[in-house]
Amino acid sequence: MKIAGIAAVVALMALPLIAQAHAHLKQAVPADGSVVQAAPTSFSLSFSEAAHLTALSVQKQGDAQPQKIAPLPADASQEFRIPAPKLGPGVYTLRYRVVAADDNHVSGGMVTFSVAAAAP
Amino acid sequence: MSPDLLAVMVRTLGFVALFQAVGTSFFLAVFAPLLEHCADRIRRLARVAAAAGIVLILAHLALEPARLAGAFDGLWDHDLQRLAWQSGSGISQLLQAAGLLVILVAPERAIGARPLWASGGGLIAVGAFLLTGHTSAHALRGLLAPLLALHLLVVAFWFGSLGPLVLVSRIESNARAVAILQRFSRLAGWLVPLILLAGLSMGWILAGSLSVLQRPYGELLLAKLAGFALLMLLAAGNRWRFVPTLLAGGEGLPLRRAIAAEYGLMVAILATTAVLTAFFSPR
Repeated sequence: MKIAGIAAVVALMALPLIAQAHAHLKQAVPADGSVVQAAPTSFSLSFSEAAHLTALSVQKQGDAQPQKIAPLPADASQEFRIPAPKLGPGVYTLRYRVVAADDNHVSGGMVTFSVAAAAP
Repeated sequence: MSPDLLAVMVRTLGFVALFQAVGTSFFLAVFAPLLEHCADRIRRLARVAAAAGIVLILAHLALEPARLAGAFDGLWDHDLQRLAWQSGSGISQLLQAAGLLVILVAPERAIGARPLWASGGGLIAVGAFLLTGHTSAHALRGLLAPLLALHLLVVAFWFGSLGPLVLVSRIESNARAVAILQRFSRLAGWLVPLILLAGLSMGWILAGSLSVLQRPYGELLLAKLAGFALLMLLAAGNRWRFVPTLLAGGEGLPLRRAIAAEYGLMVAILATTAVLTAFFSPR
């Protein structure tokens, strides 16, 4: 029984515990992998179903900590448009967490985009 | 450790405690008149499991804001706390805890010869699962809800009976232990296939096609099926080999070891379920 318990824990640790389900991201602006010429003034996220946006952060490549974006909308929605902080040139990762309004399951993901350096 | 991993570990332990408490109360409802020496110990097992379940459910709810934030500092976010506790999932878990509380405080006074108060708490705890998750949000929830209820009730009875059966084999006389084990085997023989029937039906309705087997949700379902198949082998071994040995006056230790193996395997299946329902979707 002890071995079964240890095996269960090992199996759990091996699983990719990134939420991969429930309210899926359908579209993001900036899009994942995109290069934008000007820093976005807002982030748009569209999901497969209505969800509460519970966490949003943006982190520049090389920075130690992400920058939390707040406040977030209190109501559930399929589409969110959130004002973006001021971003300079660089590669950014936008991380989000949502909880689906119908089945209450938590999911999350990330969108990576680049802001091009301003032309001299 | 991430809030997600901690939450799923707590949720797994919560499932173990909940199904132990509920199933043990069902065991007492069915077998109490046959028990001579170990009824009190089995009742204590149900109560300890119920108490542990309540603590673990509340701990899981307390962790939910951290999951919503994706970081442990979310624990202190009042908006996320409100979202967690007032959500359908939060209400479902509070109702599970309420059902376990009924088991914990149920009077020992029997209705007739059978202690049915605690079983009522078990029904509440299991019924609470119907309020949330994929089955509650589906268009065919009128069909899915009774399937889920059937699936969970039989799982609870099977899982929650294993501990009492070990106690019965250790404490009751050989003849009495064999009578109870044989009666349990006959009952389980009818009930346990319903776990598979209900589970496969729900899986088909939720997933809609076999392509789900190529996704993590389907892979975990297959893992549960494999675990179930192994459990059936173990149960068959108990019924056809170890119980007859006990009947013939032999040692009860091999039977208890086999039951312990069943218990460990069911814990692994409950862990798989915790991961499945927390992170993956059938579609």
